[in-house]
Amino acid sequence: MKTTKKYWKGLAQLNDDPIVEKLAQNEFVEDLPVDQFLGDKENLSSTNSSRRDFLKFLGFSTAAATLAACETPVVKSIPYLVKPDEIIPGVANYYASTIYDGRDYASVLVKTREGRPIKIEGNKTSSNARVQASVLSLYDSSRLKYPLKNNDESDWRTIDSEIKDKLLRIKNGKIVLLSSTILSPTTNELVKSFSKKYRNVEHLMIDSNPYDGLLDANLESFGVRLAPTYSFDKAHVIVSFGADFLANWMANDYATDYINGRNPKSGKMSKHYQLETNLSLTGANADKRIQIKPSEQAYLLSNLLGALKGESFDKRLTKIVKDLKSSKTKSIVISNSNDKNTQLIVNAINHQLSNYGNTISITNPSKLKQGNTSNVDALISDMQNGNVEALITYNVNPSYTLANSKEFNNALKNVSLKISTSQHHDETAHLMDYVCPDSHNLESWGDANPKHGVYSLMQPTISPLFNTRQFQESLLSWMNKSDFQSFQKNYWISKGVDWNKSLHDGYFNLNEPSIKVKRFTDNSISVAKKNNESIELEIYETVALGDGRQANNPWLQELPDPITRACWDNYLTISSSTADKLGLSNWNVSNGAMNGSLVNITDGNNILENVPVMITPGQAQNTVGMAVGYGRTRAGKAGDNVGFNAYPFLNTKELTITKIEGEYEFASIQLHHTMMGRDIVKETSLAEYIKDPSAGNHRELYHTYKGKLPSNEVSLYEEHDLETGHFWNLSIDLTSCVGCGECVVACQSENNIPVVGKEEMRKSRDMHWLRIDRYFSSDMTKELSKEEKISAITMYSEMEVPSENPEVVFQPVMCMHCNHAPCENVCPVAATTHSNEGLNQMTYNRCIGTRYCANNCPYKVRRFNWFQYSENEKFDFHMNDDLGKMVLNPDVVVRSRGVIEKCSMCIQKIQEVKLTAKREGRPVKDYEAQTACSSSCSTNALVFGDSNNKESKVWNLRNDERAYDLLDHLNVRPSVFYQTKIRNKA
Amino acid sequence: MTKYTYSLVFLTLAIFLTSITSAFSQETVDSLAVQKGEQIYKANCTSCHMMTDKALIGPGLKGVTDRRNKVWLKKWINSSSDFIASGDADAIALYEEYNKVAMPSYYFEDADFEALFAYLKNPPIVEEVVTADLVLSEEEGIKTSTILMIIALFLLLLVYLLTSLKNKLKESIGQETETIPETLIGQFNSFISDNKNVAFVSFAALIVVLKFSYDTMLGVGVYTQYMPEQPIAFSHKVHAGENGVDCNYCHSSARKSKHSGIPSANVCMNCHTYINEGKITGTTEISKIYDAVGFDPDSKTYIEGYEQKPIKWVRIHNLPDLSYFNHSQHVVAGKVECQTCHGPVEEMEVLYQHASLTMGWCIDCHRETEVAMEGNEYYTELHDQLKEKYKGEKITVDKIGGIECAKCHY
Repeated sequence: MKTTKKYWKGLAQLNDDPIVEKLAQNEFVEDLPVDQFLGDKENLSSTNSSRRDFLKFLGFSTAAATLAACETPVVKSIPYLVKPDEIIPGVANYYASTIYDGRDYASVLVKTREGRPIKIEGNKTSSNARVQASVLSLYDSSRLKYPLKNNDESDWRTIDSEIKDKLLRIKNGKIVLLSSTILSPTTNELVKSFSKKYRNVEHLMIDSNPYDGLLDANLESFGVRLAPTYSFDKAHVIVSFGADFLANWMANDYATDYINGRNPKSGKMSKHYQLETNLSLTGANADKRIQIKPSEQAYLLSNLLGALKGESFDKRLTKIVKDLKSSKTKSIVISNSNDKNTQLIVNAINHQLSNYGNTISITNPSKLKQGNTSNVDALISDMQNGNVEALITYNVNPSYTLANSKEFNNALKNVSLKISTSQHHDETAHLMDYVCPDSHNLESWGDANPKHGVYSLMQPTISPLFNTRQFQESLLSWMNKSDFQSFQKNYWISKGVDWNKSLHDGYFNLNEPSIKVKRFTDNSISVAKKNNESIELEIYETVALGDGRQANNPWLQELPDPITRACWDNYLTISSSTADKLGLSNWNVSNGAMNGSLVNITDGNNILENVPVMITPGQAQNTVGMAVGYGRTRAGKAGDNVGFNAYPFLNTKELTITKIEGEYEFASIQLHHTMMGRDIVKETSLAEYIKDPSAGNHRELYHTYKGKLPSNEVSLYEEHDLETGHFWNLSIDLTSCVGCGECVVACQSENNIPVVGKEEMRKSRDMHWLRIDRYFSSDMTKELSKEEKISAITMYSEMEVPSENPEVVFQPVMCMHCNHAPCENVCPVAATTHSNEGLNQMTYNRCIGTRYCANNCPYKVRRFNWFQYSENEKFDFHMNDDLGKMVLNPDVVVRSRGVIEKCSMCIQKIQEVKLTAKREGRPVKDYEAQTACSSSCSTNALVFGDSNNKESKVWNLRNDERAYDLLDHLNVRPSVFYQTKIRNKA
Repeated sequence: MTKYTYSLVFLTLAIFLTSITSAFSQETVDSLAVQKGEQIYKANCTSCHMMTDKALIGPGLKGVTDRRNKVWLKKWINSSSDFIASGDADAIALYEEYNKVAMPSYYFEDADFEALFAYLKNPPIVEEVVTADLVLSEEEGIKTSTILMIIALFLLLLVYLLTSLKNKLKESIGQETETIPETLIGQFNSFISDNKNVAFVSFAALIVVLKFSYDTMLGVGVYTQYMPEQPIAFSHKVHAGENGVDCNYCHSSARKSKHSGIPSANVCMNCHTYINEGKITGTTEISKIYDAVGFDPDSKTYIEGYEQKPIKWVRIHNLPDLSYFNHSQHVVAGKVECQTCHGPVEEMEVLYQHASLTMGWCIDCHRETEVAMEGNEYYTELHDQLKEKYKGEKITVDKIGGIECAKCHY
């Protein structure tokens, strides 16, 4: 129905006002001042674009972007003009070299691609996670890029002439060179000639974590201020009082020797006792661990010495005394104490046991620790008195690592010439007049003498990335000389060393006569038992960061601690009963992440506020532990303000702890602590193993129509043909794995694994392809619950709680490469498939990110890329800057957002080995194929190889009685298998 | 019919010519000796001599057997310095002419010398057949489009004929005639008045559009025939084709590495220190190398303190980062010819991408190519196992895992 009704928009329309008509014709009653606006040139130039222009720009840019996207990107390929003979693009070169940064020493092989170091591997010697990670520190964007004068950019010529001028003008005052322990004989030579040129030169060495007690004790006992070398492989009984010799103690990695002395197959396994306060990596591997307070150590040692001489002893030592007495000349007793008197007792014990000359050698000493802290105390008072005119620092950061760094910093103001040679503008360097940045190890020439008669050479594998100069060159230029390389070469040639061969091998031995020591003098004083009720502190170094030198290395920051499994933090470790007493706790929040209480701590002189508390099983009662190496303020973008600085408490014995309000958010990636009665890690004792090699490893049988069968004989699956060609297998020996985490960093380095940062780690979004699970034992067991008739619910809830002094097991877990893989079945796009060589393949470019596979993986080893981790300012670690990206392995794809990734069994390395064999027309040799983890393992716990080669190590290990599949009952037939853990329990 | 006649004539002519050449060669030259001589020549002489009039380090060897006799040549080759010392006038003159550089001594067995002499006497005749081939193939390329044009014209003619026939018929019975457009429009209107027809045509159009877009999508990132302009107009035809330089001489890393490698300028300079002028481009292109490395062709020395300029070649074969490809795998282990993937490079004046380099292309080849197992001990055990497993079937690359994802994607 049509309507004639008329609607008005307003009274004006009803009244037929002419304005309505005018408005209908012309929306804008007044003329827009377009001409005025556009005509006024000045006005126009001062304004931004108009709406129209904006639309034009928008349209144009969209069109341009679209067009540009259609065009083929032109890729330039720029070859060398004159190609160096040794470089073939696409083929890696290996150079033998040495890593020594003043803390960690290792003889290494450096893998370079197109002239860029990308990976570090041990050169027939053991290394550690920090050595593995040091290649990333080379590409650290916060390294100093040029010399500094008064914290401003300068150039070498100016700096050198000013420094030389000032050094020459020094008349009476001292010139002090403060360095770390120097291992390089040629550097020592240079320092000597430097002292000749300028008078009053004093060379002082300090270690960030001092070993004065041990060295001073040896000076008294043997007349030499040196540390002995230990043969842990020869020792039948090892008693360590707090010395974490598998990780950090003496900066020497004794893990290889230790594991060589623990071979269950031969029936010979050393018996290892650890008496300690904090649960260290070494303590976690001990056969028997006894918790003691730091104040008890001297007493117990003294008591032990008495016991060996036939006196009565503390009942905690009963077994130790018995074992030590029966293994004279074949035992080692060590202590981490920095107290001379305690170390004198240790020396007396070892002397009493005739260990010197057998398992301990003082005549072929270690050179790794030579620092003397008392020198620094003297230096500080000298500086205060104005006796020091010039201070040169090398490889040390005293303003950060000294317990009395405040005094040092104040005294520094009295020194007129202050020179740092630090690679970073660190805590000390920024207080100096001149910074002459040292080059990285991988850019420098050098040598090292880690122990008597053993030498290794350092050669550059890349030209200096920045305008830096290695310390030795700086010293030379201040003596108006140059060319350290020739100096070093001539020095060694004059000693009769075959230079080219030694440089190629990376190391050489000199037949030097053993050093002369005086006859053993026993100066030990017996120590009586003291009762101490207050809370004691023990400082430790973490496996990841050590003394904090490489705090700006994101790989190390993200390496979870083997014991607490937390990363990007340090904290106060405390036992659960002590925590209860103080009202402290850890708890999990709704997303599973862990939070902890906060405390303030003080030792009278120093106060630290807002310190988080981490409840750690195994920590001795009434004690706390604190790690140094954190709380850096001038390390760089990754290392600054991570954790707190514990160095001021280095000499602290007792602490007062006050709980405060608030909570702290940890990034711990393992939130369960026990195995809940399951046999995830199968374990047995040496005695049981000798009786029955398959002890602790009896396969469960399942009812089938054919009778009872083990799981590997029951299957609904169509089998893959694994007999033809290669069948790559990895064996992991849980007896040999000490949990050091070196493989985790090696894997990260080899496979371009991104760093995700603390927040993401806290959400359990870690990207590590390889993790090392840690399990504590619990007081509650299934057997006990049966005996005591405890209900299942109570049993399981008590099983969740680790013991106060638990046994610890480590288990590296990566993709198991199941041959009946649950992940492969559920992928909707066939992005994960099986290879005919027994590998589970992951094809990133095919993956659409449903994560079904991760959900279906029983081992939880698949990692999802929640974000684009490279080129992303939210993840400002190495993959976000051009420099950090130079460490990437060009043979492995950098994964993008939204895909699953996981261990590939280093397929790029397998393919390379196969190809080399094919090119050379020969079969693959057993030792050739290695994964990053297996080649980095210092203890040979991981053995990789082809199981179809009946002569291979891994085939023998597969058929060993100790071999078992993880979660055997699932019958997923992994290509990775484990060997039962065997402990030498009494 | 004429076509057949031409072919016959051509064929007869061809047979006749070949028979003449072969008859001629059998008479005068021992072809085996020439072959052997060529090997000796290539192994020893090419770095200093060319088979033309042009001097390299030593004189050009075209017609050398006419200039010198066999005995003279033998003495000179065996030990030129002794020969000069003996006071031979020609030898001394030659020595003086070439900046007093004596030729290195080569002691050849008599048989070898004979072979070399035979080769020098009968240098290879450069054949011009290649170009003819190219023209032929171009003609073939044009043919398909010509045929389509002819068909189109034929159809138009048909429409015209039928319409005029219809008009003639209409005229004959006195009906009104139609022009061609009128007929077409009428036909079209009656066709679209039926909904079934419209539906059918729309459906067919949709299919065509979909197929077209699918093909376009498949072609994204595929750059077959990609032929960018290079900073130096390097001719593979001249180097690999006419001069017969082995691919591996310049792309030496193809045997050792995943990259075939673009040769560094010092490899170019191995020859171009002496060869200053090209056939086609004269000195313009070669001087670009000198400009990059800082070489003075007149004094034949490198300019001291010269700031060298890298040559920015345009990369033609671009595989995405997500796929791993290794040249040495294919060249050495697989014994695949370069041309299998790169096409007739020795005929390319300007290099272009021959193959599509798509995954389908890779896989097709892996499904068809037999693994080069013979004589390679890596495969000894595997070969026995596979022979048993596949009983008589060809053992192609895919049978040893050559189409598994993680062989190329990791």
